[in-house]
Amino acid sequence: MTRRYDPLTLISFRDFIRCLAVLFAALSLTPTAWAAAGDVEAGRARAQTCMVCHGAQGISQMSGVPHLAGNGDQFLQWQLVFYRSGRRQNPVMNALATNLTDADIRNLGAYFASLPPPGTSPVANPDAGLVAQGQAITTQRNCAVCHTDTFVGAAAAPRLARQRPEYLAKALSDYRSGTRPSLGLAAMTEASAGLGDADILAVAQFLATVP
Amino acid sequence: MHIRKTLISWGFRATLLGALAGTAMLTTTAPAAAQGLKSYDSSKPSFWKNPPPDWFLGDETQAQKGLAPPVGPATPTPLAELETNLKNIKLPAGFKIEVYASGLPEARQMAWGANGTLFVGSFGATNVYAVTNANGKREVKTILKGLTMPTGLAFRNGALYVIAIDKLLRYDNAEANLDHMPKPVVVYDDMPSYVAHGWKYLVTDKDGAMYIPFGPPFNVGIPPTSVSQIRRVHSDTGLAELVAVGVRNSVGGDIDPRSGDYWFTENARDWISDDLPSDKLNHISRLGQHFGYPYCHQGDLPDPKFAMGHSCSEFTPPVVNLGAHVAPLGMKFYNGAMFPAEYKNNIFVAFHGSWNRHQYQGARIERIVVDADGKNPHQEIFAQGWLTGKQDYSGRPDDILLAADGSMLVSDDWAGAIYRISYAK
Repeated sequence: MTRRYDPLTLISFRDFIRCLAVLFAALSLTPTAWAAAGDVEAGRARAQTCMVCHGAQGISQMSGVPHLAGNGDQFLQWQLVFYRSGRRQNPVMNALATNLTDADIRNLGAYFASLPPPGTSPVANPDAGLVAQGQAITTQRNCAVCHTDTFVGAAAAPRLARQRPEYLAKALSDYRSGTRPSLGLAAMTEASAGLGDADILAVAQFLATVP
Repeated sequence: MHIRKTLISWGFRATLLGALAGTAMLTTTAPAAAQGLKSYDSSKPSFWKNPPPDWFLGDETQAQKGLAPPVGPATPTPLAELETNLKNIKLPAGFKIEVYASGLPEARQMAWGANGTLFVGSFGATNVYAVTNANGKREVKTILKGLTMPTGLAFRNGALYVIAIDKLLRYDNAEANLDHMPKPVVVYDDMPSYVAHGWKYLVTDKDGAMYIPFGPPFNVGIPPTSVSQIRRVHSDTGLAELVAVGVRNSVGGDIDPRSGDYWFTENARDWISDDLPSDKLNHISRLGQHFGYPYCHQGDLPDPKFAMGHSCSEFTPPVVNLGAHVAPLGMKFYNGAMFPAEYKNNIFVAFHGSWNRHQYQGARIERIVVDADGKNPHQEIFAQGWLTGKQDYSGRPDDILLAADGSMLVSDDWAGAIYRISYAK
């Protein structure tokens, strides 16, 4: 429960309760039968539960909950595998992922990867100084090596451009503290090591506003 | 070095949390430091016991910077896709490859039960699987969960032996209890809990003793005296003999049916270059041999930092240098009746493939023809085609096992599958 007191965790208690309600509704669902790998339509059918928090079309309107649309298939699948096994901890997602089959995970990955990414930045009035500071840090940390020059992501490296900033900050904080497993073995552990809280907020602000 | 995408098993991770949380508290207010070359002091017990998650990057060089283990598929490759992949595998004339079993996340060492159950270990998945045949239908069951890197296993006198970092466990009457495995008996646990290069492999000899490799808890350095060695553990008594030292990360070996000697594969250190040093195939011909690590690599390359005045001539050279960053893991002498006569007593080695190399190589099955005394070695490719790009795989072979009919099984921890290679004229 320490995460509730993490200054970088901005999900509200009300949103948390809403997600819990979704969770209980979802527990009555049964796993789908085996389907061909990465079936977008099967993923769409299975994704109705996800939409409650992650938004219709995978664009989240909820603080602390990331956009999924336009993310890499492989990245999305790995997060579900991490949630299913408990290696990534989140009470709502762990419970939701428990009953997912491998085929469900491939289909959900394919579906959210197929959706168009957010067309606008979630930050209405970016702080120019913070954006510049964040950009400098991402250059210094070689973020583009995996996430690409435009931060749209590739393969197992997620899309960062126009992601919700409070989620980005939480993700970086969790990687830094080792509470979230890093793909690329430990790529994010290395990339986030030694970042201060102010650095993290700056990086989040920059990435959320990448055009 | 052999490293996997899911090295950080949950158990491993949990042990790291305390240390990492402490680190984070100290650094939360520090400014973002420039990202230079990663360097860790791996010479301390604190590092061995609680390595940082990226411990394998600790000797980074400018030339090799940016190389990191590749991220594999999140779930085992589905059957239809496996069958497509296997169409691209090249084998000598007369040989055929097919899917034997699928849906085994991170499948590692394989062993046969006396009644035909195929047992399979795993890496970060923490599982042990059983592949059974019931009414002509092959079925995969997860029979054990939550073990720390149970990569190595063996079967003897009705019992399944599993090695999970620092414990050799015995599950009695295993084949009759696949749906409800008994509580294990700890056969041997005089082993350090170091997770880095702590995953192991088991080879049983005619006396029922098990050869167990111990890798150093880092890339290169003067190892703790409890590791960088091979022990022979008597599975009945739990007594252990030290049979070889100076060994880096070995995750494969077999007994030569001609001599009864133990041979083993060894993964060489990282961060020298794309082409140095070579991984090795070694032969223990007398008790207590030193195979060179960390002083000398590939039989003729003194370590730039840790040679410490030693010359390579002091150490037992490899039988064969298998190639740089090919990552040789499981191996078997061929003593089956199915393959042509010239394959008799040849060694097959599963090359897991590179991560610390700009252009990956490996991800294939190698054939080694060599005399029982290690003379006249000849090396050639037996099966290849899992390398699908400069830094991409469709599969990564990691172990080999012969079936009763003389066909060969190959486990693949990237695709989570077992293949069968057979021969017909």
